[in-house]
Amino acid sequence: MENYDVVVIGGGNGGLAAAATLAEKGKKVILFEKHNIPGGCGTSFRRGRFEFEVALHQLSHMGTPERPGPLRKQFRRYGIEEEIEWIQIEELYRVNFPDGTGLSIPVGREKCIDFLSREFPQHAANIRNYFDTVYAFCAQANDFSEKSAQSTGEPGEFKKFVMKKGFPKKYPVLAQYGLKSSQEVLDEFFPGCPKLQLALSVYWCFMGMRPDRFPWSILAKCTYIYMEDKPYYLRGTSMMMNQAIMEAAKRMGGVVQLNCGVQKIIVENGRAVGVIDERGREFRCKKIISNISPLATYGTLMEPQDVPAAARDYLKPYTVGISALTCFIGLDCTPEEIGFTTSFTLNYESYDANGDFMDAYKLLPEKDPLIATCYTVDDRQVSPEGTSVITAGVLKYSEPWEKLPPERYYEMKYEAGRRIVARLEKMYPGFTSHIEEMEIATPLTHMRYLNHPGGAIYGYEQDLRQSVFFFPAESKLPGLEFASGWVNACGFGPNYTYADKVAAKIAEEV
Amino acid sequence: MSKSIKETLLGTLVHGEEILQEIDLLTRVSEDKILHKDHADAVLKNLHPKELHLVVGEIYDTHKNAKVFRFYSKDGYLPPFEAGQFLNIFVEIDNVLTSRPYSISSSPRQRAYYEITVARAVNGFVSDYFLDKVQVGDEFTASTPAGSFHCNPVFHSKKQLMLAGGSGITPFMSMLREALEAGLDKEMILIYGARNAQAAFFYEELTHMSETFPNFSYHLVVSDDDPSWTGERGFITGELIARLCPDYMERTVYICGPVVMNQFCEDQLLALGLPKKNIRREMFGAAKDITQEAGWPKALNGSETFKITVNGDTVIEGCAGEPLLSTLERAGIRVNVCCRSGECSLCRVQLVSGKVFLSKGMLLRKADEKYGYIHSCKSYPITDISIRL
Repeated sequence: MENYDVVVIGGGNGGLAAAATLAEKGKKVILFEKHNIPGGCGTSFRRGRFEFEVALHQLSHMGTPERPGPLRKQFRRYGIEEEIEWIQIEELYRVNFPDGTGLSIPVGREKCIDFLSREFPQHAANIRNYFDTVYAFCAQANDFSEKSAQSTGEPGEFKKFVMKKGFPKKYPVLAQYGLKSSQEVLDEFFPGCPKLQLALSVYWCFMGMRPDRFPWSILAKCTYIYMEDKPYYLRGTSMMMNQAIMEAAKRMGGVVQLNCGVQKIIVENGRAVGVIDERGREFRCKKIISNISPLATYGTLMEPQDVPAAARDYLKPYTVGISALTCFIGLDCTPEEIGFTTSFTLNYESYDANGDFMDAYKLLPEKDPLIATCYTVDDRQVSPEGTSVITAGVLKYSEPWEKLPPERYYEMKYEAGRRIVARLEKMYPGFTSHIEEMEIATPLTHMRYLNHPGGAIYGYEQDLRQSVFFFPAESKLPGLEFASGWVNACGFGPNYTYADKVAAKIAEEV
Repeated sequence: MSKSIKETLLGTLVHGEEILQEIDLLTRVSEDKILHKDHADAVLKNLHPKELHLVVGEIYDTHKNAKVFRFYSKDGYLPPFEAGQFLNIFVEIDNVLTSRPYSISSSPRQRAYYEITVARAVNGFVSDYFLDKVQVGDEFTASTPAGSFHCNPVFHSKKQLMLAGGSGITPFMSMLREALEAGLDKEMILIYGARNAQAAFFYEELTHMSETFPNFSYHLVVSDDDPSWTGERGFITGELIARLCPDYMERTVYICGPVVMNQFCEDQLLALGLPKKNIRREMFGAAKDITQEAGWPKALNGSETFKITVNGDTVIEGCAGEPLLSTLERAGIRVNVCCRSGECSLCRVQLVSGKVFLSKGMLLRKADEKYGYIHSCKSYPITDISIRL
């Protein structure tokens, strides 16, 4: 038996950051990762001459070296900022419409307002108004979350009454927009202009939730963060970043066990006190940080009688979110040869994003909005000279794939790939003739590698009832905490920074 | 009970009360969603089971130096696979747990059994065991079928050219049996290089197939100087390919054979002007004699021994000419493994100090190169080394 301050379960983005932060703070920490590589979703794989990024499109929260954002500061503390070559992305994204036109959105508040005002002169006043609202919302939301972080415990009834009256006056934009969907807000600002709405709502696809259920507060935050901190990519895929964090955690005294998951959480007297790993070794600790889903933490790592009833009730209103169907494609030509100019693109078959999104419940891609990223546009060295790397995919729920008879799996997988490539061929004539490598990942592929229910790539459904103010971040078992994208905003920047906070708090307790 | 401050304040937001009520309702009516143990395994068990438990059902000779083994599933179910994929079969020989990847040679259209063909290799630790020891009824554990040497109909041509060498014919047997028996819309030419006609596997079956099906033709190319052989002679050169398969530019070419043949054929095809994207290669295990590979340090003959320190505490002896993975297995140190050909990365370890020779075809990630990770199946120690699992 060995003793640690903290055991971390799972070496995805959150687990790695938590382990690194605890090691940095001098805590005795060990991280267990089932796979042979760290990173979870944030990883890469090789085929032929190509290395394919699996998850990262644009890294948020970085900021420039002169004006560092929270993530860059965190990486500085880990000592890895200089180890990695960061690449600032010049355009936020491009939206392609069914009529063959498209809009490439520049980085920077004023640049973006100017650009959109030129494209949509009749909406110029509202465009400025919209961005003012985004910025005011984020300022109020930040102020409120800082203030609530300082307050401790429940206030008395009278104070509650005063706060209730005062809140909408002090935070009017937050009160007005905090629980509205993206669609509702965009309809309010830009009625009857679907092109402009689609040009501004793109980040719904980063969280896998269609605009009429996607919290506008997340859209506003994404817009604000990418405008201010600039989107980044890095040389060597997200695997490079996650390997760097793992090495940093080791350098600072942490222990990382690859190829070894946890098989059981030991619960004694209603408290998590340690784990047994897959090799049968026992580790005792003061705290466990789980970076896997709460559903799997309670369900697969604990005996049923050890699972607190409160945890079962607490997790009831949350539904497992969407997965994806992605083609990883290596081309034997440059992006210019096929006309790919902006790295991150969202491609629509109609102007009704909400309606098209409903095809996510079907087995095969139909009108689903297509997300296509050409990494070569931002990083010429991502693959050998004269080649390009593209990932193109649609969001899909896993259920039809789970129900598919196994003998039809490969046939359907290739049919899905064929449909996605046909969409790309239509936009970039000649595309198919340049394919040198191609791998297709279905929701079942994600389930196989991530071990997530539903092959979920964003954790729970990121809608108005389940995210932002309602993330299931609480643990119902003393000794256990969560740090993954299942209990907070998912993605790279949000997850690293959230896990850092969770770990910093635990470091003070153990 | 009075509302918490969080609920109180959220209630003041537009839609706040409505959303809080919905959450309350959902909490009351929803089912318990906490997973049962092995949830993902249960969903995936018919597609990608974690491992297979196999039993040898039949063994027959195809050839004086090769046998066909039919594996049945102990639990009665074998998952689907793609023609061209391999099984990594674990064996325990003289108390050493190791494994070998074998291409499946049976058609994926029938899954009563998987068939593999094992050819005797020079000093073949595992092939000798299969050919001399394994009997009907023996049980094995194997990985689920894997590998990317198979047709991808999204961008591969319906016209295929298959270049096989020696026992590298096995994945093509699966592809051909599937395509011809199921009547798939494909047009296939197989050029098979062997030392002599007797050394060629599946000679009768392939000849029969090519006589029966108009969309398949078969050419055996013999390299030994055999006066009785009236067919093609020599190696699979560009000249030969252009002559037997004039429309090679329209084809997807699949190559599977010994490392040297594999590279030779690709070079010949590139010289003919075939784009790289039309060429698919199966890596087919570690090199027979690593000291023959380009870049091997001249000062070493492969028999030198070096100290290998594992996880800072265990010290074992390794040999320059042997893959690190095999050395670890012999010492009883468990490393995850699948393809043994440098591609899948399961046997990845961190090289902390010392030097290894990295055999060609190892698909490292950029992060591996930066942080010193290597695939142990194709790494050879050339100094004392220290590694971390």
